Amino acid sequence: MQRDVQKALGFLMPMAIIMLGLVFYPIIRTFIFSLQRYKLTEPDKVGFIGFENYAAVLRSPAFHYAIVNTLLIMGIVLIVGLFSSIVVALILYGKTRLSGLLTAVAVIPWALPPVVNGVVWKFIFYPGQGFLNKLLYNLDLIDEPVRWLNTRFGTLLIVGLIVAWRTIPFCAIVFLANMQSIPQEVYDAAKVDGANSRKTFLYITMPHLMPSVAIALTNLTMSSINVFDEIAALVGFRNMGQPLLIYNYTETFSFMNFGYGSAITYIIMIASGVFGYFYIRSLHFGGGKS
Amino acid sequence: MKLSFKKLVYGFVIVMFLLFTLGPILWCFTVSISPESEMFGNTTRFLPENPTFENYIQLLDFSSRQGKTFLTGLGNSMKAVSMTLLVGLPVSLMTAYALSRFDFKYKRAIRMALLITIVIPVFTTIIPLYAMFAEFGILDNIFWLSLVYVSSFLPMVTWVLSNYMNTIPSELDEAAFLDGCGRIKVFFVIILPNSIAIIFAIVLMIFLMTWNQYQIPLILASSLDTKPLSMIVADFTSKDLIQYGVTAAAGILALLPPAVVAIVFRKSLILGLTQGSVKG
Repeated sequence: MQRDVQKALGFLMPMAIIMLGLVFYPIIRTFIFSLQRYKLTEPDKVGFIGFENYAAVLRSPAFHYAIVNTLLIMGIVLIVGLFSSIVVALILYGKTRLSGLLTAVAVIPWALPPVVNGVVWKFIFYPGQGFLNKLLYNLDLIDEPVRWLNTRFGTLLIVGLIVAWRTIPFCAIVFLANMQSIPQEVYDAAKVDGANSRKTFLYITMPHLMPSVAIALTNLTMSSINVFDEIAALVGFRNMGQPLLIYNYTETFSFMNFGYGSAITYIIMIASGVFGYFYIRSLHFGGGKS
Repeated sequence: MKLSFKKLVYGFVIVMFLLFTLGPILWCFTVSISPESEMFGNTTRFLPENPTFENYIQLLDFSSRQGKTFLTGLGNSMKAVSMTLLVGLPVSLMTAYALSRFDFKYKRAIRMALLITIVIPVFTTIIPLYAMFAEFGILDNIFWLSLVYVSSFLPMVTWVLSNYMNTIPSELDEAAFLDGCGRIKVFFVIILPNSIAIIFAIVLMIFLMTWNQYQIPLILASSLDTKPLSMIVADFTSKDLIQYGVTAAAGILALLPPAVVAIVFRKSLILGLTQGSVKG
């Protein structure tokens, strides 16, 4: 038995080395950085300053601005994402000749590089040659091209929609798997009791989908907190409409302020850790419980 | 009458779904085959009068400046994918086997520690990684970059694999033990052959996740010689903004491999997704 445990450790060893060296050790070092005055541009002024970086971040108007931006994106992603993914799951659930094709189409946005998603959508919202402006122009609804990405709320709305677009396939597939696992007898019983399709959906399908709703919501939330690639492709690293991670990136790497940047990182990590707790719990209850 | 109304609604929903999913990609393709002059001149026409594949030819020609940049990025992405697979696949299989089949102290804790890292944002580890890599002089190195990729998706992949291995009946192991097989032999004779379906799904997911990386290489591998394709495409949009056609063509070429994989192997991918219920 003792040898068996040794073998188990042998199997775990490569993973342990990679994870300790490239994840757990850096997490601790980030925390140490966050307690220091640590600017790469001023290497002689490095020193321990306690929680001063945290206080500075929490007081900073730019940080508040970034939080509001992230929350706005999150609101759009949650509403659009949850609703649309249930609709897409229902489309895929219907067994028709189209099912295979529809599933193939449905997984595409999930598989694409998020940066490329940003590029692809940029051509829709571009002022001069963008599809949407051309469409509105042809419908005689506008005379001047609309600059969708030149306002804060326009940008946030568009980013929210694109992030939802990319996350919907995953959520829809979780919903679909869940729908397929609802036993047919339950539906038969409802039919005997005279329930119509709307009632069946509300009182039979929806309650059975609750575990998936939890997974979908946490996934959509995590995607919204982690928005980065799409913004970089759509508008670059400008200040207007900057969400948390872009703020984190520019503060850390444009100004090479590792102490301050690490403090931002820790604050974001704790916030997403709260959501992450529910995420991991929903994993245990929902997907692939062994 | 009611039935046909229902069908109409269903048809409408499907058309909307196809439009929203494929529309942006088709439009990007349209832009990529439109000559520059037509793109600028006309604000009302949708389709180009004289479609051209000039932009694609330019990107795939190593002697042009843009072609060189693009093809180097393509090569870097493929190198990173192979290295990530070479390291990530065996490591995740071994870990999953240990977590699924062995009994040892702190197993729950190890599983939990792995799972928690799934929800930790990339930036939490990347700042010290940048500092460490700079210290050791391994910034702009595709091998070390690939190891960071491995560390970022190992927990998720292991989770998917071990969930699947849990469904392989342990009676098979016990029968093999009675035949005198050891732990290692069971891994090769029982576990691996019975996990082929999920291993294939994992290979695809690792490919997609590596291909799609942007934040990590942005910080750890931003030199031209190591930049992956996703970064090249992003560079085209910000720097060479005037050349819509080339940017669009680069976007289409970069999305083609993952899109084809997703379409052809959708069943495998869905198996992987539902097994883990986690996005990478």
